[in-house]
Amino acid sequence: MFSDPSFWSRLQFGFTVTYHYLFPQLTMGLAWFLVYWKWRALRTGNEEYDRAVRFWAHIFGLNFAVGVVTGIPMEFQFGTNWAGFTRQSGGVIGQTLAMEGMFAFFLESAFIGALLFGEKRLGPRGHFAAALAVALGSWLSAYFILVTNAFMQYPQGYVVLADGSLGIGAASDYLLNPWAWIQFAHNQLAALVTGSFAVASIGAFYALRGVHLVQSRLYLRAGTAVGLVASLLVAFPTGDQQAKMVARHQPVTLAAMEGRFASGPMAGIAVIGQPNLAEKRLDNPIEIPGALSFLAYGTFASVVHGLDEYPEDVWPDNIELLYYAFHLMITLGTLFILLMAAGAFQSWRGRLESSRGLLWLLFLSLPFPYIANTLGWLTAELGRQPWLIYGLFRTRDGYSRVVSNGDVIFTLIGFTGLYFVLGVLFLVLVGREIGHGPEEEQA
Amino acid sequence: MIAAWYGVVSFMLIAYVALDGRNFGVGMLHWLVARTPAERRQVAAAIGPLWSWDEVWLIAFGGALVVAFPRLLASAFAGYYLALFLILWCLVLRGVSLEVGGVVDDRLWHGFWDFVFAFSSSLLAILFGAAAGNVARGVPLDARGEFSMAFFTDWRVTGEVGLLDWYTVSVGVFAAVVLAAHGATYLTWKTEGPVHERSRFFAKRFWFAALPLFAAVSVESWVVRPEVPEHAFGNPLCWLGLFGVAASIVALLSAFAKGREGRAFAASCFLLVAILATGAAAIFPVMLHSTLAPESSLTAYDVASSPTALWLASLWWPIALALTLAYYVAISRRFAGKVGVTSP
Repeated sequence: MFSDPSFWSRLQFGFTVTYHYLFPQLTMGLAWFLVYWKWRALRTGNEEYDRAVRFWAHIFGLNFAVGVVTGIPMEFQFGTNWAGFTRQSGGVIGQTLAMEGMFAFFLESAFIGALLFGEKRLGPRGHFAAALAVALGSWLSAYFILVTNAFMQYPQGYVVLADGSLGIGAASDYLLNPWAWIQFAHNQLAALVTGSFAVASIGAFYALRGVHLVQSRLYLRAGTAVGLVASLLVAFPTGDQQAKMVARHQPVTLAAMEGRFASGPMAGIAVIGQPNLAEKRLDNPIEIPGALSFLAYGTFASVVHGLDEYPEDVWPDNIELLYYAFHLMITLGTLFILLMAAGAFQSWRGRLESSRGLLWLLFLSLPFPYIANTLGWLTAELGRQPWLIYGLFRTRDGYSRVVSNGDVIFTLIGFTGLYFVLGVLFLVLVGREIGHGPEEEQA
Repeated sequence: MIAAWYGVVSFMLIAYVALDGRNFGVGMLHWLVARTPAERRQVAAAIGPLWSWDEVWLIAFGGALVVAFPRLLASAFAGYYLALFLILWCLVLRGVSLEVGGVVDDRLWHGFWDFVFAFSSSLLAILFGAAAGNVARGVPLDARGEFSMAFFTDWRVTGEVGLLDWYTVSVGVFAAVVLAAHGATYLTWKTEGPVHERSRFFAKRFWFAALPLFAAVSVESWVVRPEVPEHAFGNPLCWLGLFGVAASIVALLSAFAKGREGRAFAASCFLLVAILATGAAAIFPVMLHSTLAPESSLTAYDVASSPTALWLASLWWPIALALTLAYYVAISRRFAGKVGVTSP
């Protein structure tokens, strides 16, 4: 494994993209809270909404900045570490990579300054427009990058050129890939989950400490309401549709995600169990019988394909990690629905501020949507293996031949150090903002 | 179509150099022109809240390169592996220093981030200059159209060259000086008070250093790649570019003499654009020259995407460009005008 020339590039890309995505998932979710509060401020003239925007804009700005600086290395790694992949498919995925820069990044970067520093210069309407533009830009960026990923998961709209590389075929098939739509809906709702957990968690923190009570109420109300809706929609219909998509187009991935080694009807979903590759079975399973058949294909009698139907060279190459990532994501998603349902219910009854137990849970829940988002992406990307472009191009053919393992380990160490410092810096600065809190009402 | 996309890709990179090069220049000079914390904040305000829009031009250039010339991106980025990561890390540090440098009101905090800003900006200017030198000189491309390169080898400009040799280092130094002059010209236009006076002082001196260096680098380029100027003499675009270079030098000098600061900055931008555009026109259609064997060089025609890809990109790219220029102008007008020392 350690001498496999693609291993270190995979590790570096996986590390840098996972780290990067900790930041956009918050800004993409939080952006719509800013838009909503800005809009409420415009409609009602209530200063509290503007105060909420000003406070969260600080947090947003820090996340946005780290998201930008950690995002730049991502595009470059297509060339530096994955030259084989770029040679093979640059003629296709180049379209969306370029569109992301031209349509989305320009939009975000022009309006982020206006959003963070332009409240006085732009006036209330202009400031609302800036918030809206940043939100749209970040979601547009997500769409383009998810189209790129969807091509790797379920290639559509390409032609094979004379030299064997891929060129763009029908642009609409590529840009409107059904996989991309479902993944976009699922992923963006998951970003809203992160955003609403952050808002609710900070609201709970202030409520527990008995400070900034008016603001805290605002955060808790919006955070739990959006959090409940988004948590439900992440699971159903978008998560469900995503799994059906995998069942249809990557059946071997579904088998690996569920640890199913043998085919058959009435396939169950394991609540607990450890995949054992040597014995080709799930150890200590506790299963809900028939659930997988039903969820994947609509009837309990449906046959779910097991790993035994496929040659081992198309099995995902880390079945255990894939299995745990998927199951932990589902578990966390279910807990999110329960927690947010309780929070939204108490908030609706006006009793959330006095339910200290629930406030503690909301406060401490902050890291978990980040973990769930990361696990979701681990599931998608480990599930795609051993392919870089599913069914067309293998990961082991995609790395840069001219780059030595020593070079990649060198830059991986560099990234580890740089991102560690960046992480500490970020936590200190965000901690300061949260400790400082929103500005108080002028007495 | 391929030539047009060569133009687009060159345009994106040249726009990036003119726009973000100004921020590199400001970064290199800001300790010299700003002496107090208030003046440092004035310099940061002069860069303004739109600096990351400047940086997006680099990302958009990378995107345009994947769309139009994916095989060039694959060869060049993998070949420049370590150098590119140095640039990326410097961009990370530069971005962080601009974003968080003003967040905490503390003398040590400011001092630290001012240093990071100056350090990363200087290194970026030199590295981008050396990268331009590498494109002009060529790289050890093999018959497969791939190369890998050490940081330095024997410091000579033929055969198994390294990233750094006497020529690329001299281009890096020239880039640092000319971008420092560019940044100082921008600050002269954008600020008032003592920062304005000092920027003016440094702008003149850096331009007086940059112009002889420009002549020296031009002669060096002739020595390193004698066939390029010969080939360029037949290209009317190169003559137009040279005329642009000469005209902007005259405009720059006269603007300084008359104290027309806005015009000086415009001339400075135009000079950078003219130099780089002349270079891009002169080397066309070769995008990456091989120092090992001329027939291994990668031309735009060797590395271009399929015609379908280029046509498709030609449909949406102008729309995207028009959109971003429109809202950039709309927003930057809100932040127009001189920045004083008391401005927040």
